[in-house]
Amino acid sequence: MRETYGSVLPGMNLAELTGKLIVIEGTDGVGRSTQIRLLRPWLEQQGRAVLDTAIKRSELAGRGIQQAQEGHTLGRITLSLFYATDFTDRLEHEIIPALRAGFVVLTDRYIYSLMARAILRGADSVWVRNAYSFALKPDAIFYLRIGVDDLIPRVVFSRGFDYWESGMDIHPSEDMYDSFRKYQTELLAEFDNLAEEYGFEVIDATPDVRTVFERLRAGIARVLSGEPREPLFSVSALPEAPEAGGQKVVEMAATARSADAAPEEAQPAAEVLAKATEGDSAR
Amino acid sequence: MKRYGEHRFPGKLFVVEGIDGSGKSTQLMLLHQWLQAEGYGVVFSEWNSSPLVRETTKRGKKKQMLTPATFSLIHATDFADRMEHNILPLLKAGAVVLCDRYIYTAFARDVVRGMEPQWVRELYSFAVKPTGAFYFRVPLEVAMKRILDGRSGVKYYEAGMDLGLSEDPEESFSIFQGRILDEYEKMVPEYDLIAVDATLAIEEQQAQMRQIVKAKLAQAKRLRVAP
Repeated sequence: MRETYGSVLPGMNLAELTGKLIVIEGTDGVGRSTQIRLLRPWLEQQGRAVLDTAIKRSELAGRGIQQAQEGHTLGRITLSLFYATDFTDRLEHEIIPALRAGFVVLTDRYIYSLMARAILRGADSVWVRNAYSFALKPDAIFYLRIGVDDLIPRVVFSRGFDYWESGMDIHPSEDMYDSFRKYQTELLAEFDNLAEEYGFEVIDATPDVRTVFERLRAGIARVLSGEPREPLFSVSALPEAPEAGGQKVVEMAATARSADAAPEEAQPAAEVLAKATEGDSAR
Repeated sequence: MKRYGEHRFPGKLFVVEGIDGSGKSTQLMLLHQWLQAEGYGVVFSEWNSSPLVRETTKRGKKKQMLTPATFSLIHATDFADRMEHNILPLLKAGAVVLCDRYIYTAFARDVVRGMEPQWVRELYSFAVKPTGAFYFRVPLEVAMKRILDGRSGVKYYEAGMDLGLSEDPEESFSIFQGRILDEYEKMVPEYDLIAVDATLAIEEQQAQMRQIVKAKLAQAKRLRVAP
Protein backbone atom coordinates (compact mmCIF):
# COMPACT_ATOMS: atom_id res chain seq x y z
CA MET A 1 0.00 0.00 0.00
CA ARG A 2 1.05 3.56 -0.60
CA GLU A 3 2.80 5.42 2.21
CA THR A 4 3.68 9.00 3.09
CA TYR A 5 6.87 10.33 4.63
CA GLY A 6 5.20 10.72 8.01
CA SER A 7 1.90 12.45 8.56
CA VAL A 8 -1.30 11.79 6.62
CA LEU A 9 -3.50 14.63 5.37
CA PRO A 10 -7.02 14.93 6.77
CA GLY A 11 -9.47 12.89 4.73
CA MET A 12 -6.85 11.01 2.72
CA ASN A 13 -7.34 7.30 2.07
CA LEU A 14 -4.01 5.86 0.95
CA ALA A 15 -5.51 2.53 -0.08
CA GLU A 16 -7.44 4.20 -2.91
CA LEU A 17 -4.35 5.57 -4.62
CA THR A 18 -3.78 2.80 -7.12
CA GLY A 19 -2.01 4.73 -9.87
CA LYS A 20 1.76 5.08 -10.25
CA LEU A 21 3.69 8.11 -9.08
CA ILE A 22 6.92 8.64 -10.98
CA VAL A 23 9.22 11.51 -10.18
CA ILE A 24 11.80 13.03 -12.52
CA GLU A 25 14.28 15.05 -10.46
CA GLY A 26 17.34 16.99 -11.45
CA THR A 27 18.75 20.46 -11.39
CA ASP A 28 17.80 23.47 -13.51
CA GLY A 29 18.42 22.97 -17.24
CA VAL A 30 19.27 19.26 -17.05
CA GLY A 31 16.47 18.33 -19.49
CA ARG A 32 13.68 17.08 -17.24
CA SER A 33 10.84 18.70 -19.14
CA THR A 34 12.24 17.52 -22.49
CA GLN A 35 12.17 13.96 -21.19
CA ILE A 36 8.64 14.29 -19.85
CA ARG A 37 7.47 15.51 -23.26
CA LEU A 38 8.88 12.30 -24.72
CA LEU A 39 7.66 9.99 -21.99
CA ARG A 40 4.06 11.09 -22.07
CA PRO A 41 3.21 10.03 -25.64
CA TRP A 42 5.21 6.84 -25.18
CA LEU A 43 3.09 5.92 -22.16
CA GLU A 44 -0.13 6.93 -23.87
CA GLN A 45 0.67 4.70 -26.83
CA GLN A 46 0.66 1.83 -24.38
CA GLY A 47 -2.79 2.80 -23.22
CA ARG A 48 -1.72 4.44 -19.98
CA ALA A 49 -3.47 7.62 -18.88
CA VAL A 50 -0.88 10.19 -17.89
CA LEU A 51 -0.96 13.32 -15.76
CA ASP A 52 2.10 15.48 -15.91
CA THR A 53 2.66 18.22 -13.40
CA ALA A 54 5.46 20.57 -12.39
CA ILE A 55 6.42 23.10 -9.78
CA LYS A 56 4.63 26.46 -9.81
CA ARG A 57 1.75 25.08 -11.86
CA SER A 58 -0.82 25.01 -9.06
CA GLU A 59 -4.05 26.87 -9.59
CA LEU A 60 -3.79 28.26 -6.07
CA ALA A 61 -0.24 29.55 -5.77
CA GLY A 62 1.53 29.28 -9.13
CA ARG A 63 0.80 32.82 -10.23
CA GLY A 64 1.44 34.24 -6.78
CA ILE A 65 4.95 32.77 -6.64
CA GLN A 66 5.70 34.00 -10.14
CA GLN A 67 4.70 37.54 -9.24
CA ALA A 68 6.54 37.48 -5.94
CA GLN A 69 9.72 36.22 -7.62
CA GLU A 70 9.66 38.98 -10.18
CA GLY A 71 9.96 41.47 -7.36
CA HIS A 72 12.90 39.56 -5.81
CA THR A 73 11.44 40.52 -2.44
CA LEU A 74 10.80 37.06 -1.06
CA GLY A 75 12.34 36.09 2.24
CA ARG A 76 13.89 32.64 2.40
CA ILE A 77 11.37 31.02 4.71
CA THR A 78 8.53 32.76 2.88
CA LEU A 79 9.76 31.36 -0.44
CA SER A 80 9.97 27.83 0.96
CA LEU A 81 6.47 28.03 2.38
CA PHE A 82 5.04 29.50 -0.80
CA TYR A 83 6.50 26.56 -2.71
CA ALA A 84 5.12 24.17 -0.10
CA THR A 85 1.68 25.70 -0.64
CA ASP A 86 2.00 25.26 -4.41
CA PHE A 87 3.17 21.67 -3.98
CA THR A 88 0.35 20.79 -1.59
CA ASP A 89 -2.31 22.27 -3.83
CA ARG A 90 -1.03 20.14 -6.72
CA LEU A 91 -0.73 17.10 -4.48
CA GLU A 92 -4.33 17.36 -3.30
CA HIS A 93 -6.01 18.65 -6.45
CA GLU A 94 -4.01 16.96 -9.22
CA ILE A 95 -1.76 14.14 -8.08
CA ILE A 96 -4.04 12.41 -5.58
CA PRO A 97 -7.19 12.48 -7.78
CA ALA A 98 -5.13 11.12 -10.70
CA LEU A 99 -3.66 8.33 -8.59
CA ARG A 100 -7.12 7.50 -7.35
CA ALA A 101 -8.25 7.20 -10.97
CA GLY A 102 -5.35 4.86 -11.76
CA PHE A 103 -3.24 7.30 -13.80
CA VAL A 104 0.49 7.32 -14.24
CA VAL A 105 1.56 10.61 -12.70
CA LEU A 106 4.80 12.00 -14.11
CA THR A 107 6.01 14.83 -11.99
CA ASP A 108 8.70 17.23 -13.09
CA ARG A 109 10.45 17.61 -9.71
CA TYR A 110 8.93 16.73 -6.38
CA ILE A 111 9.66 17.62 -2.78
CA TYR A 112 13.39 16.89 -3.15
CA SER A 113 14.19 19.94 -5.29
CA LEU A 114 12.18 22.07 -2.91
CA MET A 115 13.97 20.61 0.08
CA ALA A 116 17.41 21.06 -1.49
CA ARG A 117 16.70 24.70 -2.32
CA ALA A 118 15.38 25.42 1.17
CA ILE A 119 18.33 23.73 2.87
CA LEU A 120 20.77 25.75 0.74
CA ARG A 121 18.97 28.86 1.91
CA GLY A 122 19.59 28.03 5.53
CA ALA A 123 16.38 26.25 6.45
CA ASP A 124 16.60 23.78 9.28
CA SER A 125 16.61 20.23 7.91
CA VAL A 126 14.11 18.99 10.54
CA TRP A 127 11.82 21.86 9.64
CA VAL A 128 11.96 21.11 5.90
CA ARG A 129 11.32 17.40 6.37
CA ASN A 130 8.36 18.16 8.61
CA ALA A 131 6.84 20.59 6.13
CA TYR A 132 6.74 17.88 3.43
CA SER A 133 6.10 14.91 5.70
CA PHE A 134 2.64 14.28 4.21
CA ALA A 135 4.04 13.87 0.70
CA LEU A 136 3.37 10.48 -0.87
CA LYS A 137 6.32 8.17 -1.34
CA PRO A 138 6.69 7.78 -5.11
CA ASP A 139 6.93 4.45 -6.93
CA ALA A 140 10.22 5.62 -8.40
CA ILE A 141 12.42 8.69 -8.35
CA PHE A 142 14.64 9.08 -11.38
CA TYR A 143 17.39 11.58 -10.81
CA LEU A 144 18.98 13.07 -13.93
CA ARG A 145 22.48 13.65 -12.69
CA ILE A 146 24.95 16.01 -14.29
CA GLY A 147 28.15 17.74 -13.22
CA VAL A 148 28.26 21.52 -13.09
CA ASP A 149 30.80 21.67 -15.95
CA ASP A 150 28.44 19.83 -18.25
CA LEU A 151 25.48 21.83 -17.03
CA ILE A 152 26.87 25.30 -17.69
CA PRO A 153 27.13 25.04 -21.50
CA ARG A 154 23.56 23.71 -21.70
CA VAL A 155 22.26 26.66 -19.78
CA VAL A 156 24.41 29.23 -21.57
CA PHE A 157 23.36 28.03 -25.03
CA SER A 158 19.69 27.65 -24.25
CA ARG A 159 17.96 30.02 -21.88
CA GLY A 160 20.81 31.82 -20.16
CA PHE A 161 21.26 32.36 -16.44
CA ASP A 162 18.18 32.97 -14.36
CA TYR A 163 18.25 35.02 -11.14
CA TRP A 164 16.85 32.30 -8.87
CA GLU A 165 18.55 29.35 -10.63
CA SER A 166 21.80 31.19 -10.11
CA GLY A 167 21.12 31.61 -6.42
CA MET A 168 21.58 35.36 -6.82
CA ASP A 169 19.50 35.79 -3.67
CA ILE A 170 22.18 34.00 -1.64
CA HIS A 171 25.32 35.04 -3.55
CA PRO A 172 24.36 38.58 -4.56
CA SER A 173 27.89 39.94 -4.73
CA GLU A 174 28.92 37.62 -7.55
CA ASP A 175 28.19 37.94 -11.24
CA MET A 176 25.61 35.53 -12.68
CA TYR A 177 28.20 33.05 -13.93
CA ASP A 178 30.13 32.78 -10.67
CA SER A 179 26.97 32.70 -8.68
CA PHE A 180 25.43 30.03 -10.92
CA ARG A 181 28.51 27.84 -10.65
CA LYS A 182 28.71 28.17 -6.89
CA TYR A 183 24.99 27.73 -6.30
CA GLN A 184 24.56 24.77 -8.65
CA THR A 185 27.63 23.04 -7.21
CA GLU A 186 26.09 23.29 -3.76
CA LEU A 187 22.72 22.21 -5.09
CA LEU A 188 24.16 19.13 -6.81
CA ALA A 189 25.94 18.15 -3.61
CA GLU A 190 22.67 18.46 -1.70
CA PHE A 191 20.92 16.33 -4.34
CA ASP A 192 23.53 13.62 -3.83
CA ASN A 193 22.77 13.65 -0.09
CA LEU A 194 19.07 13.36 -0.78
CA ALA A 195 19.69 10.65 -3.42
CA GLU A 196 21.02 8.37 -0.76
CA GLU A 197 18.45 9.21 1.89
CA TYR A 198 15.44 8.86 -0.41
CA GLY A 199 16.68 6.12 -2.73
CA PHE A 200 16.87 7.98 -6.05
CA GLU A 201 17.62 5.94 -9.15
CA VAL A 202 20.43 7.88 -10.71
CA ILE A 203 20.56 8.34 -14.48
CA ASP A 204 23.58 9.95 -16.07
CA ALA A 205 22.20 13.01 -17.86
CA THR A 206 25.34 13.85 -19.84
CA PRO A 207 24.57 11.74 -22.94
CA ASP A 208 22.19 12.91 -25.67
CA VAL A 209 18.43 13.16 -25.22
CA ARG A 210 17.68 9.80 -26.86
CA THR A 211 20.08 7.85 -24.67
CA VAL A 212 18.70 9.41 -21.51
CA PHE A 213 15.18 8.76 -22.79
CA GLU A 214 15.94 5.09 -23.40
CA ARG A 215 17.27 4.67 -19.89
CA LEU A 216 14.30 6.42 -18.37
CA ARG A 217 11.95 4.33 -20.48
CA ALA A 218 13.60 1.12 -19.30
CA GLY A 219 13.29 2.25 -15.69
CA ILE A 220 9.66 3.25 -16.02
CA ALA A 221 8.73 0.06 -17.89
CA ARG A 222 10.18 -1.87 -14.99
CA VAL A 223 8.17 0.15 -12.44
CA LEU A 224 4.94 -0.31 -14.39
CA SER A 225 5.44 -4.04 -14.75
CA GLY A 226 5.95 -4.24 -11.01
CA GLU A 227 9.43 -5.71 -11.23
CA PRO A 228 11.79 -5.05 -8.34
CA ARG A 229 14.23 -2.23 -8.60
CA GLU A 230 17.68 -2.73 -9.95
CA PRO A 231 19.52 0.58 -9.83
CA LEU A 232 20.90 1.64 -13.18
CA PHE A 233 23.58 3.65 -11.54
CA SER A 234 24.35 4.63 -8.02
CA VAL A 235 25.81 7.94 -6.99
CA SER A 236 29.07 6.41 -5.86
CA ALA A 237 29.55 4.47 -9.10
CA LEU A 238 29.46 7.61 -11.25
CA PRO A 239 32.78 9.17 -12.14
CA GLU A 240 33.41 12.67 -10.88
CA ALA A 241 32.58 15.30 -13.46
CA PRO A 242 35.83 16.04 -15.32
CA GLU A 243 37.26 19.53 -15.52
CA ALA A 244 35.87 21.40 -18.48
CA GLY A 245 38.64 21.55 -21.07
CA GLY A 246 38.06 23.67 -24.18
CA GLN A 247 37.28 20.70 -26.39
CA LYS A 248 34.83 19.30 -23.88
CA VAL A 249 32.85 22.52 -23.66
CA VAL A 250 32.40 22.74 -27.41
CA GLU A 251 31.30 19.15 -27.62
CA MET A 252 28.79 19.50 -24.81
CA ALA A 253 27.44 22.69 -26.26
CA ALA A 254 26.46 20.85 -29.43
CA THR A 255 24.55 18.26 -27.42
CA ALA A 256 23.11 20.88 -25.18
CA ARG A 257 21.66 22.88 -28.03
CA SER A 258 19.83 19.91 -29.32
CA ALA A 259 18.61 18.91 -25.88
CA ASP A 260 17.57 22.12 -24.28
CA ALA A 261 17.52 24.83 -26.91
CA ALA A 262 13.85 24.20 -27.46
CA PRO A 263 11.55 26.61 -25.68
CA GLU A 264 10.30 25.16 -22.41
CA GLU A 265 6.66 25.03 -23.46
CA ALA A 266 4.89 22.61 -25.77
CA GLN A 267 7.43 21.16 -28.14
CA PRO A 268 6.18 18.21 -30.14
CA ALA A 269 7.99 15.08 -29.07
CA ALA A 270 8.92 14.03 -32.60
CA GLU A 271 10.62 17.34 -33.23
CA VAL A 272 12.60 17.11 -30.01
CA LEU A 273 13.80 13.65 -30.90
CA ALA A 274 14.64 14.62 -34.48
CA LYS A 275 16.75 17.46 -33.21
CA ALA A 276 18.42 15.20 -30.70
CA THR A 277 19.32 12.77 -33.45
CA GLU A 278 20.66 15.61 -35.60
CA GLY A 279 22.90 16.56 -32.71
CA ASP A 280 24.20 13.01 -32.57
CA SER A 281 25.09 12.78 -36.24
CA ALA A 282 26.66 16.22 -36.20
CA ARG A 283 29.08 14.91 -33.66
CA MET B 1 17.41 29.13 10.90
CA LYS B 2 16.76 30.21 14.48
CA ARG B 3 14.03 28.40 16.30
CA TYR B 4 11.32 29.49 18.74
CA GLY B 5 12.88 30.70 21.98
CA GLU B 6 16.38 31.14 20.56
CA HIS B 7 15.99 34.72 19.41
CA ARG B 8 17.48 37.58 21.47
CA PHE B 9 16.56 41.08 20.36
CA PRO B 10 16.46 44.51 21.96
CA GLY B 11 12.84 45.00 20.82
CA LYS B 12 9.75 43.58 22.55
CA LEU B 13 6.89 41.60 21.07
CA PHE B 14 3.36 41.52 22.49
CA VAL B 15 0.59 39.51 20.91
CA VAL B 16 -3.13 39.08 21.52
CA GLU B 17 -5.06 35.86 20.98
CA GLY B 18 -8.61 34.66 21.45
CA ILE B 19 -11.67 33.57 19.47
CA ASP B 20 -13.56 36.01 17.26
CA GLY B 21 -15.57 38.35 19.48
CA SER B 22 -13.23 38.12 22.46
CA GLY B 23 -12.41 41.83 22.18
CA LYS B 24 -8.68 41.30 21.64
CA SER B 25 -8.33 43.78 18.75
CA THR B 26 -9.95 46.54 20.80
CA GLN B 27 -7.57 45.86 23.66
CA LEU B 28 -4.55 45.88 21.37
CA MET B 29 -5.63 49.18 19.83
CA LEU B 30 -5.90 50.74 23.30
CA LEU B 31 -2.49 49.40 24.25
CA HIS B 32 -1.04 50.79 21.02
CA GLN B 33 -2.37 54.28 21.77
CA TRP B 34 -0.99 54.20 25.27
CA LEU B 35 2.48 53.00 24.25
CA GLN B 36 2.67 55.68 21.59
CA ALA B 37 1.65 58.36 24.07
CA GLU B 38 4.36 57.03 26.39
CA GLY B 39 6.84 57.69 23.60
CA TYR B 40 7.70 54.15 22.48
CA GLY B 41 8.42 53.24 18.89
CA VAL B 42 5.43 50.97 18.26
CA VAL B 43 4.57 48.93 15.19
CA PHE B 44 1.44 46.88 14.56
CA SER B 45 1.14 43.72 12.47
CA GLU B 46 -2.05 41.85 11.77
CA TRP B 47 -2.65 38.18 11.00
CA ASN B 48 -3.17 37.42 7.30
CA SER B 49 -2.09 40.82 5.99
CA SER B 50 1.02 40.24 3.86
CA PRO B 51 0.63 41.99 0.48
CA LEU B 52 2.80 39.31 -1.11
CA VAL B 53 0.34 36.52 -0.41
CA ARG B 54 -2.93 38.47 -0.45
CA GLU B 55 -3.97 37.59 -4.02
CA THR B 56 -3.32 33.90 -3.49
CA THR B 57 -5.25 33.74 -0.23
CA LYS B 58 -8.09 35.73 -1.74
CA ARG B 59 -8.36 33.40 -4.72
CA GLY B 60 -8.23 30.33 -2.49
CA LYS B 61 -10.97 31.60 -0.24
CA LYS B 62 -13.20 32.95 -2.98
CA LYS B 63 -13.11 29.73 -4.97
CA GLN B 64 -13.25 27.67 -1.80
CA MET B 65 -10.30 25.66 -3.00
CA LEU B 66 -8.37 25.63 0.27
CA THR B 67 -7.93 22.34 2.08
CA PRO B 68 -6.81 22.12 5.72
CA ALA B 69 -3.20 21.70 4.52
CA THR B 70 -3.16 24.56 2.01
CA PHE B 71 -5.12 26.77 4.40
CA SER B 72 -2.41 26.16 6.96
CA LEU B 73 0.49 26.63 4.53
CA ILE B 74 -0.79 29.83 2.94
CA HIS B 75 -1.25 31.40 6.37
CA ALA B 76 2.23 30.25 7.34
CA THR B 77 3.58 31.87 4.16
CA ASP B 78 1.81 35.10 5.05
CA PHE B 79 3.21 34.95 8.57
CA ALA B 80 6.74 34.18 7.32
CA ASP B 81 6.66 37.19 5.01
CA ARG B 82 5.67 39.48 7.87
CA MET B 83 8.22 37.82 10.16
CA GLU B 84 11.11 38.17 7.70
CA HIS B 85 10.32 41.62 6.35
CA ASN B 86 8.63 43.29 9.25
CA ILE B 87 8.68 41.77 12.73
CA LEU B 88 12.30 40.54 12.85
CA PRO B 89 13.99 43.69 11.53
CA LEU B 90 11.85 45.84 13.82
CA LEU B 91 12.70 43.77 16.87
CA LYS B 92 16.37 44.03 15.94
CA ALA B 93 15.96 47.78 15.71
CA GLY B 94 14.46 47.89 19.19
CA ALA B 95 10.81 48.55 18.43
CA VAL B 96 7.78 47.42 20.38
CA VAL B 97 5.90 45.16 17.98
CA LEU B 98 2.21 44.41 18.53
CA CYS B 99 0.58 41.48 16.75
CA ASP B 100 -3.14 40.91 16.42
CA ARG B 101 -3.09 37.09 16.38
CA TYR B 102 0.11 35.11 16.26
CA ILE B 103 1.18 31.49 15.80
CA TYR B 104 -1.30 30.28 18.44
CA THR B 105 -4.13 31.19 16.08
CA ALA B 106 -2.70 28.73 13.56
CA PHE B 107 -2.14 26.10 16.24
CA ALA B 108 -5.81 26.36 17.22
CA ARG B 109 -7.44 26.63 13.78
CA ASP B 110 -5.28 24.21 11.84
CA VAL B 111 -5.56 21.52 14.48
CA VAL B 112 -9.35 21.91 14.55
CA ARG B 113 -9.21 21.47 10.76
CA GLY B 114 -7.45 18.14 11.25
CA MET B 115 -3.75 18.94 10.89
CA GLU B 116 -1.48 17.19 13.38
CA PRO B 117 -0.58 19.45 16.35
CA GLN B 118 3.13 18.62 16.12
CA TRP B 119 3.22 19.28 12.38
CA VAL B 120 1.77 22.78 12.79
CA ARG B 121 4.04 23.62 15.73
CA GLU B 122 7.14 22.59 13.78
CA LEU B 123 5.96 24.55 10.73
CA TYR B 124 6.02 27.77 12.79
CA SER B 125 9.20 26.98 14.69
CA PHE B 126 10.95 29.92 12.98
CA ALA B 127 8.70 32.36 14.87
CA VAL B 128 10.03 34.61 17.61
CA LYS B 129 8.77 33.81 21.11
CA PRO B 130 6.68 36.79 22.27
CA THR B 131 7.64 38.87 25.30
CA GLY B 132 4.03 38.53 26.34
CA ALA B 133 1.12 36.65 24.77
CA PHE B 134 -2.32 37.71 26.04
CA TYR B 135 -5.21 35.32 25.71
CA PHE B 136 -8.66 36.88 25.98
CA ARG B 137 -10.79 34.22 27.56
CA VAL B 138 -14.48 34.48 26.86
CA PRO B 139 -17.41 32.03 27.03
CA LEU B 140 -18.58 30.94 23.59
CA GLU B 141 -22.11 32.40 24.01
CA VAL B 142 -20.75 35.85 24.87
CA ALA B 143 -18.44 35.90 21.85
CA MET B 144 -21.18 34.60 19.56
CA LYS B 145 -23.57 37.32 20.66
CA ARG B 146 -20.94 40.03 20.08
CA ILE B 147 -20.17 38.73 16.58
CA LEU B 148 -23.69 38.14 15.37
CA ASP B 149 -24.97 41.47 16.73
CA GLY B 150 -22.23 43.40 15.03
CA ARG B 151 -22.16 41.77 11.61
CA SER B 152 -24.54 40.78 8.88
CA GLY B 153 -23.09 37.29 8.65
CA VAL B 154 -19.95 35.19 8.88
CA LYS B 155 -17.75 34.12 6.00
CA TYR B 156 -17.29 30.56 4.77
CA TYR B 157 -13.87 29.74 6.26
CA GLU B 158 -14.49 31.93 9.33
CA ALA B 159 -17.47 29.75 10.16
CA GLY B 160 -15.49 26.58 9.50
CA MET B 161 -17.97 25.67 6.76
CA ASP B 162 -15.20 23.71 5.00
CA LEU B 163 -15.35 21.15 7.82
CA GLY B 164 -18.95 20.20 7.04
CA LEU B 165 -20.00 20.61 10.67
CA SER B 166 -23.41 21.98 9.79
CA GLU B 167 -25.30 23.33 6.79
CA ASP B 168 -26.27 26.35 8.86
CA PRO B 169 -23.45 28.94 8.94
CA GLU B 170 -24.34 30.16 12.42
CA GLU B 171 -24.43 26.69 13.87
CA SER B 172 -21.22 25.76 12.07
CA PHE B 173 -19.57 28.92 13.38
CA SER B 174 -20.60 28.07 16.92
CA ILE B 175 -19.29 24.48 16.79
CA PHE B 176 -16.06 25.61 15.10
CA GLN B 177 -15.36 28.42 17.57
CA GLY B 178 -16.14 26.08 20.46
CA ARG B 179 -13.45 23.68 19.26
CA ILE B 180 -10.98 26.52 18.80
CA LEU B 181 -11.71 27.61 22.35
CA ASP B 182 -10.74 24.13 23.57
CA GLU B 183 -7.45 24.33 21.68
CA TYR B 184 -6.67 27.73 23.21
CA GLU B 185 -7.30 26.41 26.69
CA LYS B 186 -4.79 23.61 26.07
CA MET B 187 -2.20 26.18 25.00
CA VAL B 188 -2.48 28.38 28.10
CA PRO B 189 -0.13 26.19 30.17
CA GLU B 190 1.85 24.94 27.14
CA TYR B 191 2.94 28.45 26.09
CA ASP B 192 2.41 30.45 29.29
CA LEU B 193 -0.32 32.53 27.69
CA ILE B 194 -1.44 35.38 29.95
CA ALA B 195 -5.17 34.79 30.37
CA VAL B 196 -7.36 37.88 30.68
CA ASP B 197 -11.00 37.60 31.66
CA ALA B 198 -12.64 39.12 28.59
CA THR B 199 -16.04 39.46 30.28
CA LEU B 200 -14.68 42.24 32.52
CA ALA B 201 -15.17 45.90 31.65
CA ILE B 202 -12.96 47.03 28.76
CA GLU B 203 -11.04 49.55 30.87
CA GLU B 204 -10.44 46.97 33.58
CA GLN B 205 -8.91 44.52 31.06
CA GLN B 206 -6.81 47.32 29.62
CA ALA B 207 -5.49 48.30 33.05
CA GLN B 208 -4.35 44.71 33.66
CA MET B 209 -2.71 44.58 30.28
CA ARG B 210 -0.83 47.86 30.72
CA GLN B 211 0.45 46.83 34.13
CA ILE B 212 1.96 43.63 32.70
CA VAL B 213 3.40 45.34 29.63
CA LYS B 214 4.89 48.10 31.77
CA ALA B 215 6.67 45.57 33.96
CA LYS B 216 8.11 43.79 30.93
CA LEU B 217 9.29 47.01 29.31
CA ALA B 218 10.92 48.16 32.55
CA GLN B 219 13.23 45.14 32.47
CA ALA B 220 14.39 46.06 29.01
CA LYS B 221 16.87 48.57 27.71
CA ARG B 222 15.44 51.97 27.09
CA LEU B 223 13.40 51.67 23.91
CA ARG B 224 11.69 55.02 23.87
CA VAL B 225 11.86 57.31 20.93
CA ALA B 226 11.30 61.05 21.11
CA PRO B 227 7.60 61.86 20.67
